[in-house]
Amino acid sequence: MKLELTINGTANSFEMVNPAPDCRFRLADGPETAAQVEMPEPGVYSVLVGGRSYDARVEETPGGLVVVIDGHRFEIDVRDPRRRSRKAAGRRGEGAQEITAPMPGKVIRVLVQAGDPVKAGQGLVVVEAMKMQNELKAQRDGAVVRITAREGATVAAGEVLATIE
Amino acid sequence: MRTLREMGIATVAVYSDADRTSLHVRMADEAVHVGPSPSAESYLRLDRILDAARQTGSEAIHPGYGFLSENAEFAAACEEAGIMFIGPSARSIEAMGSKTAARKAAIAAGTPVVPGTAHDIDLPQARQFGHEHGYPILLKAVAGGGGKGMRRVDREDDLESALRDAASEAERSFRNAEVYIEKLIDRPRHIEIQLLGDRHGNMVHLGERECSIQRRHQKVMEECPSPLVALHPEMRAAMGEAAIRAARAAGYYNAGTVEFLVDEERRFYFLEMNTRLQVEHPVTELVTGLDLVRLQVEIAAGGRLPFSQEEITWRGSAIECRIYAEDPYNNFLPYPGKLTRLTRPLGPGIRLDGCVYDGWTVPMEYDPLLAKLAVWAADRQQAIERMIRALREYDVGGIRTNVGFFRQILEDEHYRDGKLHTGFIEEFFERQGPPTEPEEMRAVAALAAVLHTAGRNGHTGEAAQAASSAWLTAGRDALLR
Repeated sequence: MKLELTINGTANSFEMVNPAPDCRFRLADGPETAAQVEMPEPGVYSVLVGGRSYDARVEETPGGLVVVIDGHRFEIDVRDPRRRSRKAAGRRGEGAQEITAPMPGKVIRVLVQAGDPVKAGQGLVVVEAMKMQNELKAQRDGAVVRITAREGATVAAGEVLATIE
Repeated sequence: MRTLREMGIATVAVYSDADRTSLHVRMADEAVHVGPSPSAESYLRLDRILDAARQTGSEAIHPGYGFLSENAEFAAACEEAGIMFIGPSARSIEAMGSKTAARKAAIAAGTPVVPGTAHDIDLPQARQFGHEHGYPILLKAVAGGGGKGMRRVDREDDLESALRDAASEAERSFRNAEVYIEKLIDRPRHIEIQLLGDRHGNMVHLGERECSIQRRHQKVMEECPSPLVALHPEMRAAMGEAAIRAARAAGYYNAGTVEFLVDEERRFYFLEMNTRLQVEHPVTELVTGLDLVRLQVEIAAGGRLPFSQEEITWRGSAIECRIYAEDPYNNFLPYPGKLTRLTRPLGPGIRLDGCVYDGWTVPMEYDPLLAKLAVWAADRQQAIERMIRALREYDVGGIRTNVGFFRQILEDEHYRDGKLHTGFIEEFFERQGPPTEPEEMRAVAALAAVLHTAGRNGHTGEAAQAASSAWLTAGRDALLR
């Protein structure tokens, strides 16, 4: 059974060969790994790999899952390949990017409009919160499909401000 | 509040709308609402704070730090109302509160100061200063701190626009557009001296703190002793005496801190004086074994200093990290939001001061400071190891914090060698990017995410095949317990 994951912005395939608790799985082109998994607390996974002990805490956020292991943070999106958007089909590692507000704030400036081509790292929307202005950027090259942000509007954390494809 | 509890003194918390469920309100014996969330409508309203004191029959006010703590008008209003202000006199706040007035007082006391103007300047005066002392120079707000209203200028051509920007930012932050000018010292170290004086004319210094690790001119890590002073111990007495001279010139009493910049030749220059208790006071408390808040209250009540300068000792090493809800790898972008999980570090030598609890929401109206994590150990190397251990145990979920960033700094060779200066963080980012994770850890994270999705979606969907039915059911039962 194969799934598609995005880990900290990078796409990876994931294959589960044997289910929990005695997992065998493969991440992208990596080796097939055996892992014994238990869930000692809700959202906490104790994973033993070759005798090494990992304590993984999973948080659900508006933008997807966040897995924290020993202070290292992984933003992970788990997608079922059968439900992938038709537009993105066949283009490995690409698909719709939703630019979301990382925290509550106010939209100060919208730098692009629908139809504009954008490059990775290009600024799209500027949001102000806690007396600081922050420019939200495109993660990958693409074109602006839709801008939902309005200058002057207050936004909540996780609210979609723009969609790039 | 903890000290007041220990002293058997009842406490009253004042709070704005955003802080209704803040920890200080929950801990206090009484609480009074002082207004809507914006500080200008609540915490900065002298009248409302005084009303709260009168209404509850409070005998004293501890102004904390920030807000009205260095507001001479407020201190005077307390004096008039017959309410004890736990701090210095209104007059000495005034003498030391304005940066330019403080410089004047320091110069008069014979304390070395950074070359600069003792008064606010206009463009022609700024140009003149640049000609005399050369560039780079620093424009600074007369009425404030925390990096606001501050601009570095490297060339005369940039002076006009820099002055304009600094003045307007100062106006917005402190309602005072006055700007003064200083020569910029290269790679300075920020070393400050803690002072304590009673109302009977006795004053001592409690040693130094090094606060060179800053971002946006705000301190994020502090330590006592300073690694530089540890190598050159005669600096402590020299800086201590210079600080006392400057403070006495202003008629100062209670707790206060004199800040110095130290150049690469170990010359120190008076920068400014903070006429209040400071955020980083725990590292001094840990190394001297004193409770500064207790001493503040006793002094305010008329007590004498219970020790002389010779009786003060410094033992071991303390480091403090200011835990902020922000992402250091994205320009320190603030991250207000709800804490979904909190595990605090415990064990020997750990001190955690903060307002954070599981389920609390970081408000976006104020500074995103969550807590101050301080450690004490027998020497600096052990303090570093202890802090790393404490940071590993400190698990905050739901928002981003700078915990991982501090871990990187503590592992950094330059930090460990004590090679600190106020540009440390900028240079650090030139040396280091965000921490990289081991490949296997990444794979485990992916596995956890997949299993979690399976558990959430129940027995449907592709991800469900990731876990056996029995395992999924057992997991869901645990969640429902």
